[in-house]
Amino acid sequence: MTTPTASQVVSTKHTIAVLGNPNVGKTTLFNRIAGIRAKTSNFPGTTQEARVARVNLDTGAQRTAESVLIDLPGIYSLNLDLSESKVCVDVLDGTAAPDGEEANIPDVLLVVIDATNLMRNLTIVGEILGRRLPTVVAVNMVDVARRRSIHVDQAKLSECLGCPVVMCSARTGEGVEELAAKLGQAKVSTRSAPTDIDGIERWAQDVYEVVSASPIAIKEDTLTDRLDHAFTHPILGVFSFAAIMTGLFWMIFKLAAYPMDWIDLWFGSVGSWVGSHIPPGAIHDLMVDGVIAGVGGTVIFLPQICLLFFLLALLEGTGYLARAAFVIDRALRPFGLSGHAFVPLLSSHACAIPGIMAARAIPDRRDRLATILVAPFMSCTARIPVYILLTGILFPERPLYQAYAFTMCYAMGIFAGLFTSLLFRRTILRGKSRPMALELPSYRIPDLKSALLLTFDRGMMFLKKAGTLILAISIVLWWLGAYPHSAPTGAAIELRAQAESVVDVEQSNELLAQADSLDTRNAAANSMLGKLGTAFQPIFAPLGYDRQLTVGVLASFAAREVFVSTMAVQVAGSDDVEDDSVLASIANATNDDGSRIFTYATSWSLLFFYVLASLCLPTLVVTAKEAGGWKWAMLQFGWMSLLAYTSALAAYQFISAAGGS
Amino acid sequence: MVTTTDSKIESKAIPLTQLSRGQTGRIECTQAHPDDCSMLRAMGLRPDASVQMCRLGEPCIISLSGACRIGLAKDIASRVMVHIDE
Repeated sequence: MTTPTASQVVSTKHTIAVLGNPNVGKTTLFNRIAGIRAKTSNFPGTTQEARVARVNLDTGAQRTAESVLIDLPGIYSLNLDLSESKVCVDVLDGTAAPDGEEANIPDVLLVVIDATNLMRNLTIVGEILGRRLPTVVAVNMVDVARRRSIHVDQAKLSECLGCPVVMCSARTGEGVEELAAKLGQAKVSTRSAPTDIDGIERWAQDVYEVVSASPIAIKEDTLTDRLDHAFTHPILGVFSFAAIMTGLFWMIFKLAAYPMDWIDLWFGSVGSWVGSHIPPGAIHDLMVDGVIAGVGGTVIFLPQICLLFFLLALLEGTGYLARAAFVIDRALRPFGLSGHAFVPLLSSHACAIPGIMAARAIPDRRDRLATILVAPFMSCTARIPVYILLTGILFPERPLYQAYAFTMCYAMGIFAGLFTSLLFRRTILRGKSRPMALELPSYRIPDLKSALLLTFDRGMMFLKKAGTLILAISIVLWWLGAYPHSAPTGAAIELRAQAESVVDVEQSNELLAQADSLDTRNAAANSMLGKLGTAFQPIFAPLGYDRQLTVGVLASFAAREVFVSTMAVQVAGSDDVEDDSVLASIANATNDDGSRIFTYATSWSLLFFYVLASLCLPTLVVTAKEAGGWKWAMLQFGWMSLLAYTSALAAYQFISAAGGS
Repeated sequence: MVTTTDSKIESKAIPLTQLSRGQTGRIECTQAHPDDCSMLRAMGLRPDASVQMCRLGEPCIISLSGACRIGLAKDIASRVMVHIDE
């Protein structure tokens, strides 16, 4: 055993690092041992993450109070110039640990290998044995190996490797208990494997020949061949891809609608409950209009985000996604993006933030940067309320035209993204993108538990963001919009006086509502946000936006969907956008001089602006973090703003000149 | 980077993309960017590994020692040199 470091002596924790090739069922095995107690943590300063669990293993004589199980990223080799390989090496050296854990040399290494692909898997076992740390090898997927008549001699393998070997199946649970017990008996290998790559490969070949009764036999796998052929076919592949993705999106939008309604109702009732229990005043407004409305407006997207990750995890579990990556690679390569960009860009249609986070999986740095920079062009769900409002104003009572305009928005976002990638790959990210080489995992029935655990993790990450960054932005925005308070206007006081003198209750209420509306509009105009609107309006004047629209656009920097509620507050004096009459009053809202705000030209200009503009502070924060610097976030913001401004300007000026108003 | 087996070269190595569907061969070397070479080698495309062509074109799909399938962009598949099995 290695000499314990000072921190190991103090710590009673027993660290077990789980290593192995991708697609060997490592995470499924980890979930079997750890149950649902695991959490996902990042390695500081990297985009790599690991699942970490605290488990009490029955380790017999060598009883330890608590073990920390760390599921490291899947790697083909410790010696590759890839961030996942580097993270694994750092963990083995004791110089890196996931957030919240101490960086120690692991006490035990659990290497998971695939019984059906022993030869290749033995190479990484050789590399790991060379670290001279207590090791246990788990030979996973023994159930599949049996079906394929592949025999692995456990005793001989253990002898060759000089450490405990357990045969198991993470899927069925076979051998998992024995594995947990063996983890306490891990020992440094008594054998030594070579250290150079040629030597390790020869050693792996020798071990393979000793332990495997079945010689390498290449068998025809006609079903897999046929499926592969269909899914990667130039025409059939594109059709099956389109069909699968349509189904995925349909399910996301259709199924998420119900929980979204419940969340909406829940936040609504919490808002009224809090509103009725806190006396009117600044705290009341902060809680109801700032905290609850702001966080509620974000959490409402949780069902879509969870469904997206859940369905993608299931799809990945079937083995299809690796095939789809090749179909997409063909389409994206001319624009300088690789097939790896597919999941990030698809996810960005729900929300750019998980999309940009998913870009971590792209191996090539330039490919990854290009993907991160174009991801926010994909129309996210936060744009949908704005699209609905504007297409409704442009084509009232004509649902087919509205649908065309809606589709055009999505297509325009994708087109702008591809154009951007093409431009950046020819300038600042010059260089050929790496050709794709991907393992195509066997077609399987996906593991429901792993998909649910991943979904839970992603959902919690999103909620954490909603509870911190988005909450802070909502409060600041509310504060800017609410202060300084304005005294009631003369006109409103007069209306209220009239209301008191009127006998008819209905008429009186109407007058009171008019007075409130006047006051709200006045307050909005005189608030700091309103004053910012006045200050920035000249910039947006060429696009056809007045002060109120400018405020709407500025408020959208917190989150795009805020535009609709901000406009409602300003023009109607009510932020209840569920009410049809409020949407109608936004559509017919007038400027201070009595002209309509949403003219035909302005609405088109706004639509172009919202498709292309970088109106989301959280996205910029995530871009800076994932791309490795604020310069990338600034580039993204600058470029998107330029594109949005010029397109909106062109649309407004062209339509105005053509006489559309 | 060029990695070569130490076994004697009996026949001329050809690019992987010249195998016909169902044909098997043994890898001699990969003539690509060093990072790609190391990656492919770690994935199992090491010298003397047995490959079978499953699908030609873009992507090219091979079965590696009958144990796993690897999809390769045509660009990189054409740089993997193999000896056809007799």
